[in-house]
Amino acid sequence: MRITEIQIKNFGNLHNINIRPLPGINVIYGENETGKSTLQQFISGMLFGLEKRQGIPDRTDDYQQYEPWNNSASYAGGLKFTVADKPFYLERNFYYKEPSAKLINEEDLEELSVEHGDLDVLLGGMNRETYENTFCIRQASVETKQEFADTLQNYFVNASLGREGGVDLAGARKQLRDGREKACQEYQKKQAEQKEEEEKLLMAERLLKKDVEQLKKQKKEGYRALLQREEDNLFLLEHDSNQMAEYLRDIRQQRQQKSYYLRFGISIVLFFAALLAGIWNGLEHLMKAPAAGWIGLEVLLGCLMLFAAVQAFSWHRKSKRLKLLRRQQEEESREQKQYNSIESEQLKQKEQQQKQTRKQAVEELLQIQVLEKLAELVNLQEELEECRIPTEEEEEYQRQMKAYELAERTLEQLSQEAYQDTREQMEQEISRILSELTNGKYKKIGLDSQMNLVATAGKHRHYPWQLSQGTMEQMYLALRMGAGGFFTREESMPILLDEVFAAFDEKRLTGTLQWLGRQKQQIFLFTCQKREIDILESQGIPFGKIMLSR
Amino acid sequence: MKFIHIADVHLGAKPDKDKPWGEERENHSWQAFTDVINKAREEQAQLLLIAGDLFHRQPLMGELKEVNYQFSRIPQTQVALIAGNRDFIGMHSCYRAFTWAENVHFLREEKLGYAELEGLGVRVYGLSYGRRRIREHLYDQAQPAAGEFYNILLGHGGDEDHIPFETESLKDSDFDYVALGHIHKPMQLVKNKVVMAGALQPVSPKDTGEHGFFMGEIGKYGCRAEFYPLRYCEYASLNLKVNKEITTEALMEVMKSQIRKAPPHQFFKINLTGDSNLEEPVDLEALARMDRVVQVQSRCQPDYDLEKLKLQYQGQILGRYIEALEEMPQDEITKKALYYGVEALLTE
Repeated sequence: MRITEIQIKNFGNLHNINIRPLPGINVIYGENETGKSTLQQFISGMLFGLEKRQGIPDRTDDYQQYEPWNNSASYAGGLKFTVADKPFYLERNFYYKEPSAKLINEEDLEELSVEHGDLDVLLGGMNRETYENTFCIRQASVETKQEFADTLQNYFVNASLGREGGVDLAGARKQLRDGREKACQEYQKKQAEQKEEEEKLLMAERLLKKDVEQLKKQKKEGYRALLQREEDNLFLLEHDSNQMAEYLRDIRQQRQQKSYYLRFGISIVLFFAALLAGIWNGLEHLMKAPAAGWIGLEVLLGCLMLFAAVQAFSWHRKSKRLKLLRRQQEEESREQKQYNSIESEQLKQKEQQQKQTRKQAVEELLQIQVLEKLAELVNLQEELEECRIPTEEEEEYQRQMKAYELAERTLEQLSQEAYQDTREQMEQEISRILSELTNGKYKKIGLDSQMNLVATAGKHRHYPWQLSQGTMEQMYLALRMGAGGFFTREESMPILLDEVFAAFDEKRLTGTLQWLGRQKQQIFLFTCQKREIDILESQGIPFGKIMLSR
Repeated sequence: MKFIHIADVHLGAKPDKDKPWGEERENHSWQAFTDVINKAREEQAQLLLIAGDLFHRQPLMGELKEVNYQFSRIPQTQVALIAGNRDFIGMHSCYRAFTWAENVHFLREEKLGYAELEGLGVRVYGLSYGRRRIREHLYDQAQPAAGEFYNILLGHGGDEDHIPFETESLKDSDFDYVALGHIHKPMQLVKNKVVMAGALQPVSPKDTGEHGFFMGEIGKYGCRAEFYPLRYCEYASLNLKVNKEITTEALMEVMKSQIRKAPPHQFFKINLTGDSNLEEPVDLEALARMDRVVQVQSRCQPDYDLEKLKLQYQGQILGRYIEALEEMPQDEITKKALYYGVEALLTE
């Protein structure tokens, strides 16, 4: 940017002033109170605006400081400048009641919008704060403010974030992280599905294993269970001859036999009793005196004897028959038993054979079932293995995740490098300027971690406050000019120097002016001394002279 | 003598099991197998050669019975089969407990042996897998024994883990015909002599192209074999070039019309190439849910002019990012990372 015309209506103690500065060095000379600082303030006010602060006014409130006493409404001015050789006209009214800013492209008279940031674009993104910490040096304040350390730090961070190249690295980082997380989610979803499938298969495997176990157990015991039932059948067969009935019959017959014996005995006794009574009767009565009564008795006794004999005979026969029957029955039963035992032996053998074949059949059947189950198990395990192989989709998501990670890591590394690089570049630039300003006395100047300036002369490290006022100011000047160069890579800004060289001796001032003379930027040098003009003239450095008077 | 040569029937395989037509696909192997049996009967083929992997996994008793029943339907045809790497005869294989129909010759030994087919004057040589992998070159030295027979080698393998072989040595062998299986793509490795039958029907979307069986004749005048396709299912690739402007809906429309035009037994693997739209990427999962689509792959890349970007952003983080990633060993991940990073950095 090069300022071509400064138009002041009312600003502080300056009224209706028109200045046309030159492209290179402009020395604004004036005694104290002639408005040099006001002019500087006007330029920066035009570029960055000047707004009335809220609350109680104090000394640092620029708006208050430069507000005209009598004519606030025309607290205004204009600025003509070129950016990349294109002419622009900027007009501002600072008056807080009706502030306005008008920006016109003078080439095509198109009105641009300050509100929408058109001026910011022309300023190359430089803001007031940064400007006042670099190219705009106010009276007795060459030292940068603490806030500038933060600005620098931010600048390096931003440089590392790639913002200067129109790249939003934080946004890029977020995008990559989001991408990675999304891929990760998809991957986990697929994995969960696979896990579910696997669980199902594992469950089926467990069931199958149980089946196999059971089948094996059955193979061992199963046919025995089958045999148990067969044995039950055999047991029933053996009891088919109904021993109980035989037993009961036997008892009954025995009792009958006994009763036969008893009746036979009684009949015999009766017989002999009748016989003895008959003999006794015959001898005692009939032999001595047979009477009718005694004969009747004898007949009666004879009949009784006969009856008893018949009875005894009959019971004897019955008893004999029963005995025979019983013997027969016994024999029959024995035969039956014998037969039974033979039959059961045969039956047993047959059963044994059947058992054997059945056992074999069962075993075979179970064996086949076991085989089948084991085959199924093998198949299931194979399926499980296949299920565990990551699918193409899973592999793709994994690749995506890895790629996102790699992208993030690389970007992180590069931004770290960019931070260091930018910082080193700036340190080099500052060192170069300082070296030129001090004619090579201080060759290396850097920034510590708190962004404080450190100068290195030989093996010693010096902070500015450890050095003379002049040297310190030279260091800060170098920092300001160097850093400013970084902030205005796209478009240069005018350098405003308000009584900066008061503490410089002749030699230093000459060196500094020579350096300034070599710069391509527009420079405004405010001074109340003739020193600078003299040196510029004696050194043959071209400059414009603007005299301010009361 | 007329013969039919099949392999890799993969009975019991469940291709596309996550798809709505998965159940239908499950039946295809059985249907195709039954078709071959019918064909053998119609054509009065005297020999059916099955070169391994008749079953997708260990066969179960019921499956063996079903297969055996099918064989019993063609009593005039002699069947020679071996177990492959998938239905290998393991410790608990049901193959061990199964009795085949009379016309079936199961070469169950792990050492190369032969079955003499009475009345045909044919010896079929072969071996069965007793484990999943066999890395030995078991076929390279194989030669038939002397005798007045037609000699056929029934083999299964052809990759590193499954009896690798040199086609040349099989070509130079004295076998009249080498009936191979395992590789799913049907190929006449040596015309009319060394033939890879391929899967009877495709088992996974990897098996693109036609599938079927070989039928031919062996006689005094040599051997002749020809491929006969079976069309229950065929996987085909559909390559679509897209540009940045295409939307998911538009792409689906294009695919639908393409698929509609294709024969109904075809199922599609979609390959997308061209420029990808980064802001609104095509919804690949939605495409994959379409009818008769089994797979969707995107090889789309954003069409960044990396050289131009490098120049434009030289020394800046974007340029340095591209350079850094280009310096890494190039693989799919670095390639992806490059595009992800460039995309992220160029987003305003």
